[in-house]
Amino acid sequence: MSISRKCVPFTPFEGQLSKSTIAIVTAGGVHLKDQEAFNIADELGDLTFRILPEDVETSDLMVTHHHYDHSDADEDINVVFPIDVLRDLRDEGFIGGIARKHVGYMGYTMQLKAMYEGTAREIANEIDKGSRADVVVLTGG
Amino acid sequence: MCHRTVVAVQREIEMKGVPTVLITVSPEVSAQMRPPRALYPNGFKIGNSLGKPGLRDLQKKVLRDALTLLTENTRPGEINTREYPEYGEYHEPPRVKKV
Repeated sequence: MSISRKCVPFTPFEGQLSKSTIAIVTAGGVHLKDQEAFNIADELGDLTFRILPEDVETSDLMVTHHHYDHSDADEDINVVFPIDVLRDLRDEGFIGGIARKHVGYMGYTMQLKAMYEGTAREIANEIDKGSRADVVVLTGG
Repeated sequence: MCHRTVVAVQREIEMKGVPTVLITVSPEVSAQMRPPRALYPNGFKIGNSLGKPGLRDLQKKVLRDALTLLTENTRPGEINTREYPEYGEYHEPPRVKKV
């Protein structure tokens, strides 16, 4: 990996949460039911990711992931992808808004180099270019 | 594994100049990758990053606490543990194997 583990990239937060737009990135294998599922048959893992729109309904989401028990997420996706929770915080005025794009991917892979140098950067580009997020919340699953 | 790769994604986003916070339920594994900011809800199991299904007040509390870390003087690379007794269970997090 090219990034030094001793040096942690860090962007200070200088705004106010009540005026900030938030995006979610989850490694928990979340995707839309009508998007292609993650490939859990491949032992090496799946390096792709799915863009989830800001107005997504939780009933349109599902989990494809075979390295954790996602029965709780199947019941309430907010335990790994807290989009409704974010909406509640927006309605309460705690945050300013919901970003245009969110990301789901399957965090399990044996192809770490490709994940670190490919997928991780591609997801960061998507967030940077199209989400208009001031802040990103990530969950591991 | 997911709790490792997610930190790689987090670090790339920080390098784009967007501040981030990670909610991890596998703190030792995530810590190896040194996340810029991270919250560990103590004792939550894998698959329950925000808590249990339907416990919206708990989910809100966890998310509020995670976001609030952005306004606090956290140390990059360290994980902040918080207690949520309303979760009602304690699960040992996965340990990192010593080699």
